Amino acid sequence: MNQIMIGLLLVMAAGMFAHGLWKSRKHHHHYQGIGHKHGGSVLSVDYYAYASHMRKWNATFKVIFSMICLLLCLIFNNIYVSLAVILIMGYMAVVIGGLEFDHYISMMMIPIVFLLFGSAAIAVGFSWDPIGEYNLSVFGLFYIYCSKASLWKAAGLIFKALGAVSALYMMTLTTPLSELIVVLRKAHLPKVIIELMNMIYRYIFIMLDTHSRMKNSAESRLGYVDFRTSCYSFGQVASNLLIVSLKRGTDYYNALESRCYNGDLMFLEEEKPMKKTQVVGAAAVVALLIVIKLGA
Amino acid sequence: MLKKKEKLSILAAALLMIFAVAPVSNAMHVMEGFLPVSHCILWIVICIPFLVIGVLNIKKLLDNNRKTLTILALTGAFVFVLSSLKIPSVTGSCSHMTGTGLGAMLFGPCITSILGIIVLVFQAILLAHGGLTTLGANCFSMAIAGPILSYLIYKALKKANVNKKVTVFLAACLGDLFTYCVTSFELAIAYPSEVGGIGASMVKFLGVFATTQVPLAIIEGVLTVIIVIGLETYAKDELKSLNF
Amino acid sequence: METSVVREQPILKVENIHFTYNGEKKALDGVNLDIYEGERIAVLGSNGAGKSTFFLNINGVLKSEEGQIFYRGEKITKKNLNHLRKNVGIVFQDADNQIIASTVMAEVSFGPMNLKLPREEVVRRVDKALEYMNISDFKERPPHYLSGGEKKRVSIADIIAMESEIIIFDEPTAALDPQNAAMLEEVLAKMGKEGRTLLISTHDVDFAYRWAERVIVFCDGKIIADDTPLNVFKQEDILERANLKHPMMFDIYDILKENHVVPDEERYPKNISEFRNLIGQIQSQ
Repeated sequence: MNQIMIGLLLVMAAGMFAHGLWKSRKHHHHYQGIGHKHGGSVLSVDYYAYASHMRKWNATFKVIFSMICLLLCLIFNNIYVSLAVILIMGYMAVVIGGLEFDHYISMMMIPIVFLLFGSAAIAVGFSWDPIGEYNLSVFGLFYIYCSKASLWKAAGLIFKALGAVSALYMMTLTTPLSELIVVLRKAHLPKVIIELMNMIYRYIFIMLDTHSRMKNSAESRLGYVDFRTSCYSFGQVASNLLIVSLKRGTDYYNALESRCYNGDLMFLEEEKPMKKTQVVGAAAVVALLIVIKLGA
Repeated sequence: MLKKKEKLSILAAALLMIFAVAPVSNAMHVMEGFLPVSHCILWIVICIPFLVIGVLNIKKLLDNNRKTLTILALTGAFVFVLSSLKIPSVTGSCSHMTGTGLGAMLFGPCITSILGIIVLVFQAILLAHGGLTTLGANCFSMAIAGPILSYLIYKALKKANVNKKVTVFLAACLGDLFTYCVTSFELAIAYPSEVGGIGASMVKFLGVFATTQVPLAIIEGVLTVIIVIGLETYAKDELKSLNF
Repeated sequence: METSVVREQPILKVENIHFTYNGEKKALDGVNLDIYEGERIAVLGSNGAGKSTFFLNINGVLKSEEGQIFYRGEKITKKNLNHLRKNVGIVFQDADNQIIASTVMAEVSFGPMNLKLPREEVVRRVDKALEYMNISDFKERPPHYLSGGEKKRVSIADIIAMESEIIIFDEPTAALDPQNAAMLEEVLAKMGKEGRTLLISTHDVDFAYRWAERVIVFCDGKIIADDTPLNVFKQEDILERANLKHPMMFDIYDILKENHVVPDEERYPKNISEFRNLIGQIQSQ
């Protein structure tokens, strides 16, 4: 049975890889059409999301699909399901979405450290007696032990978590946060939270710009020359950032009111219809995951 | 047997190496997919009453003065930006502040819980720190438990007329450490040890993350003090309107 | 008898408004002004003279303590405040202070959406405004990946989409590079030709002189001059009080006059091409 599963996954991977190669020959991956960042720091996920070819897809559809895959990963808790999810989600983000493979991998590296620590903590145990299959005595005081079962558990957890993360990434790397907020609004979250989210999202970028200007100016005056000075400069720049921003608060509100804002933040949203092929594809993926679970 | 032991000591050495130089940036967040579904739901349910109180508080604040909306949003954005910045470190590793202790001292824990959960969603989406199914767990440790403790320490020490710098440092630092304890607890009840159960497991998680979290908490405390001093020097009026 | 007045009723009539920011110095100290349809007005005055406060007052965001504002003869009260906000649009100095949405399309739609217009109308206005500012390609982009000049264009499209009768520009050229400043002046010229009513605050006297047909000078919360550009820039005491210089063309003409190159008529040229005509005429005489 295991061989069949592995074979199936390998065929899937090969197919996706071939499609990726074929596509990348047709057109190079470029983040066209959204211009460049002008100074300041960039939040890569945000940038990739705006540039993704999958941005044209209906946001609600993407959210529901990725959440279903994520939950199936968690509920089934099956290494083959997890592997299939990792493959399919990566394929969607990279081949369909047009994100560069290197960028995708570096994104996947972000949770790896937590995973290593977290699963290491799960794989090993401490005991007065050498009760595991592998034991390590520490100064003759106690033993760090580790069993095959716990190693398997940790490995399963790593794949499960990576599957979940890749499902989340499929959503975040192809859908700008502003569109996700619209989905949340449709899900009837409290209005005040939606408004705050919209504003916070916008203000984050203004603040990042302001911060990078302040930091450069501190750096030009040797503000980060050693650890002590760095701490001081970091704190100074941060408090300045908050002060400057709070002082701007009234201006922001005035600007809103000057365009007839009456306590209800509303924007025109583009209607992005779902395509039949997308829905069928998503259903097929979900069915495949269920089949894998039943088969394993 | 001996061979096995040898192998294991190499493994242990390798692990220790990782611990020593690990550039852990987001160990405070429980990662997406790391908790079983039942725990995800449990923590969200636990958070709900706090969040409802938070929303009601914010609504009351806005009914009094709608212009506070932009101030709240700016503070939320500030907490996010603060948590996205690399903080100075001696080893060249890459770590971040939580910033929620500062939020609790400035705005109180109710409002911080709402800003906190929004910031957590943004961190999960924009920075890939934490996750959506683990949002409840992260929200409880970082946006509720930590800030509440920070706030209580801050209020108590302020009443006792302790030096302001010490007060702010302790509130931020202990709030941070408490967040990390709660996170370890959340992980421990999800993955109890085969021997010793939840207690042993918690000790394990505390131990594994201690190398990074304890220095971080101290740095967070120091930085928060510097930020608060800056705010007091240059923005007395703004702070007064926030009841600081 | 009223028909003897050549000009029709003003769009906006401001009567003796006073405004103070939380108990401090008076920001506006009895301002009177009539704005007529199709006027191109430059508003001059040093920082803190009350220009921006005045704009926020006639847009209805700030409420004056004293005095009245009439929009097309109708007195503005709390009830019809939105009437004012709808018909007097402000393009703020810093586009980042104004832009609130996370795509250009959503941003430009914000005003029309607040006016509770039907969706088709909002779409029509947004498309029109984007086309007017030549930024239709940016529709789907977030403002944080736009350059300063592009953001400025978005902030102008914001107001165009509201179809306000009066458009105010608060120091529009501040922080723009020469290329974008030129783009802005083209837009302003285009709007002027279309007969839109425009108010622009600026520190650039050359621009005010060549563009405006009426110049208003603010000083310490009061309007100290309100006349044609030529008449305003001739009044040395006014210029001194408001810390203003002569436009370059003024000084050049005066130098030529002193050296008897040009006759002592007040034919101050507004721009380079007028200057060229003037010199051409003199030489051919």
